[in-house]
Amino acid sequence: MSIIEIKNLNFSYTAKQPVLRGLTLDVTAGSFLAIVGPNGAGKSTLLNLLSGLLRCSSGTINVDSRSLKSYSSQSLARKIAVVRQQTPPPFGFSVLETVLMARTAFFTSSGFESSEDLSIVDEALRATDTFAFKSRPLTSLSGGERQRVFIARALAQNTSILLLDEPTSFLDLRHQVKIYDLLKVAQVEKSKTIIAATHDINLAAQYADSALLLKPAATHRGESSASSLASCFEYGAVHEVLTPQNVEKTFAVETFVSTVGSERFFLPLGSLAKDRRILSRQNKTDRI
Amino acid sequence: MKELLTAKRLLRRIALALIILVLVMLVCSVIGTEKVSLRNVFAGHADGKAANPDYQIFIRVRVPRVILAAIVGAALASAGVVFQALLRNPLAEPYILGISSGAGLGAISAVILGIEWTLLGRSPLAVFAFAGALGTVWLVWFIAKLAKKNKTTTLLLAGVVVNAFFSAVIMLLISVAKSSEFYSTIFWLMGNILEEEFFVLWLAGGFVALAVMALYKISPQLNAMTFGPQDAKNLGINTAAIRTIAFAVASAVTAVAVSLSGLIGFVGLIVPHAVRLLFGADHRQLIPLSAVAGAVFLVAADTIARTIVAPAQMPVGIITAIVGGPFFLVLLIRHTRKSAF
Repeated sequence: MSIIEIKNLNFSYTAKQPVLRGLTLDVTAGSFLAIVGPNGAGKSTLLNLLSGLLRCSSGTINVDSRSLKSYSSQSLARKIAVVRQQTPPPFGFSVLETVLMARTAFFTSSGFESSEDLSIVDEALRATDTFAFKSRPLTSLSGGERQRVFIARALAQNTSILLLDEPTSFLDLRHQVKIYDLLKVAQVEKSKTIIAATHDINLAAQYADSALLLKPAATHRGESSASSLASCFEYGAVHEVLTPQNVEKTFAVETFVSTVGSERFFLPLGSLAKDRRILSRQNKTDRI
Repeated sequence: MKELLTAKRLLRRIALALIILVLVMLVCSVIGTEKVSLRNVFAGHADGKAANPDYQIFIRVRVPRVILAAIVGAALASAGVVFQALLRNPLAEPYILGISSGAGLGAISAVILGIEWTLLGRSPLAVFAFAGALGTVWLVWFIAKLAKKNKTTTLLLAGVVVNAFFSAVIMLLISVAKSSEFYSTIFWLMGNILEEEFFVLWLAGGFVALAVMALYKISPQLNAMTFGPQDAKNLGINTAAIRTIAFAVASAVTAVAVSLSGLIGFVGLIVPHAVRLLFGADHRQLIPLSAVAGAVFLVAADTIARTIVAPAQMPVGIITAIVGGPFFLVLLIRHTRKSAF
């Protein structure tokens, strides 16, 4: 069953530069989708389109069998929660107050949290390992700790879909896997649909069921218009999409591929890193 | 800030604050250049308003003045909270979007055009200042809408530019048209609490009370909006509607305050921060408590203003600035040092 259906989505910020062209995919309910691609490929744009912040120029997005446009902000917030890169406001909200705001959309007319709200928030804080500093002001936390607080807030919204934009960008190694473990648990135990845009294709490959590889418009410059539309994106099971050829071509980088058990890992190779023989790389022309 | 805000706790705090406000207002009604004793006041009231000077001063002069100070203080403080929240800027205050120069221009225009008629017993200065204030906010809003992108910064810049432009126009008008009335206009603009009829006090007080209640109603949404429009939208807030309502109410309440008593500065800036430092940033608490704290602050400031150089009266805007200026600097230093409140 598809919880999100995207048909022929086109979007551009300016008339000349299309960011997304002809994007079509169905996201199965309860699946873990990783959106990967180079900078500027449109990962954040797609997330903003899905969360209702941007309007597509053509094409349709359906959430839970209803057109995205038909949702009000409040009704959409009950379906989709978003975690994005954040600067905290210059006012001293505590961690607890911040996460409680997730319940604002569901407040009773009294304007105060119910005990159910409080227990949901409690659970979210414990799951993200942020319960210990719930009384501390948000601004006193490190970037990574703050990231976890915003993830807690998204969890407290108790939605069936979770969108995350680079969820592990500031996190240390331990918390990188802890957060993905947490997302996996949310997916499996609470049947949440997880959609995460990430630079970390290795973590994505370990945890995601499916992957959407977005290719920036520039990579298919010079191809004929018919084929350029077709090669704008690739969607499918993780191991079918994240192949060495796709990765090397889309990211325009040389990679070293290895497997651990059934997991495949990609390591980007720079030409000037130590222990690398520069001479043998010099003849290769740079793509883009 | 450590414990959770519940309805009970909030009600208790508001009740306590209101009790303090009433006490302060009572005490300040008695203080002044003329000695007034409460016993004589009560005697005069029982007597059926005979020629009891204490009673006359109390009822005719002191009480209306103290009530007006409370109304204006509450209006400015609650407007300040809203502007800081919407503009996500701790240095924002009610005049930031051009209200001050707009009101000034309105008042000066009334003088130049020689307008004599009054509206509801309000002087032409007051009416035109009110219109000027609201008109300028609308103008700034309109400019920002034309520019279309990055609402907050555009609003702030438009406000700064309009403020500068209108201030220049005011200077021009003052230098070109010679009128002795300008002195009194400028004095009026500096911010004064003067006696008003009870009718006006009821009207203004009622309006400000309603405005504060309306702002309280949307305070959970204001909390979310401090995280930015994107975040607020994804949390389910109708950001466009909340922004419009909040800006409209805050601007209207500020325009009312300005038309009543000129430009009293710093109340809208300091009081929200003081309350935030003591009670935290939750707007459900911040809005009502700032309103009451603003009332207390201005009542006290006005009492100082009318007694410190007795029998002369200092414009209350001077007292708020003298107290507010150093406080603002301390705030600035703290803010840049640790970027957290």
